[in-house]
Amino acid sequence: MTAHLSMDQLIALRDDDRSEPGMGEALQHFAACIHCQSELEQLHQRTARLRALPSLAPSTNEFPAVHARVTVARQRRSRAAASLGLAIAATAVFTLITRDLVHPKRLDAEQLLQSEITQSQQLEHKLTAWNSDQRVINGRTAILVIQLENKIAQLDAEIAESAKMEQQAARVENEIKLWQQRVGLMNALVDVHLSKAGNVGL
Amino acid sequence: MDAMSLPDADAVIARARLGDPVALEALYRAYSTPVYNLSRRICRTTEDAEDILQETFFEVCRSIRNYRGDGSIWGWIRSVASSKALMRLRRNKYRDTDELNDEIAPARGASTALRMDLESAMDRLTDTARAVVWLHDVEGYTHEEIANQMGKTVSFSKSQLARAHTRLRNYLGEEALA
Repeated sequence: MTAHLSMDQLIALRDDDRSEPGMGEALQHFAACIHCQSELEQLHQRTARLRALPSLAPSTNEFPAVHARVTVARQRRSRAAASLGLAIAATAVFTLITRDLVHPKRLDAEQLLQSEITQSQQLEHKLTAWNSDQRVINGRTAILVIQLENKIAQLDAEIAESAKMEQQAARVENEIKLWQQRVGLMNALVDVHLSKAGNVGL
Repeated sequence: MDAMSLPDADAVIARARLGDPVALEALYRAYSTPVYNLSRRICRTTEDAEDILQETFFEVCRSIRNYRGDGSIWGWIRSVASSKALMRLRRNKYRDTDELNDEIAPARGASTALRMDLESAMDRLTDTARAVVWLHDVEGYTHEEIANQMGKTVSFSKSQLARAHTRLRNYLGEEALA
């Protein structure tokens, strides 16, 4: 063998990889060739220099954002289940009342309530489609998201509590107010995820 | 790495698997620098590396329950990070042609003024070649592991490594003695 070793063969020699074809012949050539010995030495040195490159450290602490994303993902899973339950319960009550053809003014209120619930659900779907759990966010956005998620969770608790009210008209009126607030917060949450954090005003 | 960076690793991992935020933060503190370094060496920008860092630890926090402890915790975190970094390269797909790099490479044996330092030379490799060099020669992955992560063959990984070293040698203006 007169030709010098290829880079594949030099690397195979460096890594003691005997699977490279023609290594027997290559070894014989290598033993007698100063050029190839020098090439291998340079390869060793280059590899050592690569390993000795300084370790690069992040300039920012990403853990708060990571933790916020994990918390939000967890909250979202439980919130989605809870809000679906609330919406089903509210719809069931609405169906019962409209079937009984109660006072028209109350019927308007029930329709308004249903409209707010539908809007809230549409926004939930929008967030799900946006797949916010899988998106990288910065620390400030993460804090906004957590604040909004917490407020929504509080509202969900109030909505659940409101369902226990005995007086129908007062219950519906209270729930309209709560679901309207929920729609507002859901809108803000969608805005934050669409990089409009500055407009939320928190 | 493990013992030095994360004292009492088993206890920390056990708590992290239960979702303890203090333990998760301890994992982050122990391994954020090597994860960032790997990401930055594979990708071109600090922004990409910071995103990969966040994505890696988001995945670690979510999936630590699935970590069985049959390899080192660093090995597991590193595999998450390298997978995220390679995914990012596939998504970016920027400047990954040999032709472009050949055009900007100085001819072998060019004057010392044209010689580059190693980091600049690495930056001039294609994304794939740079990733293979780093994963194989520095992180110690085998060609089989790299091929598996990249969805390519072992011979692809080997040829990328050889071509990368040929280019690095040229960029660095290295000459064999004889």
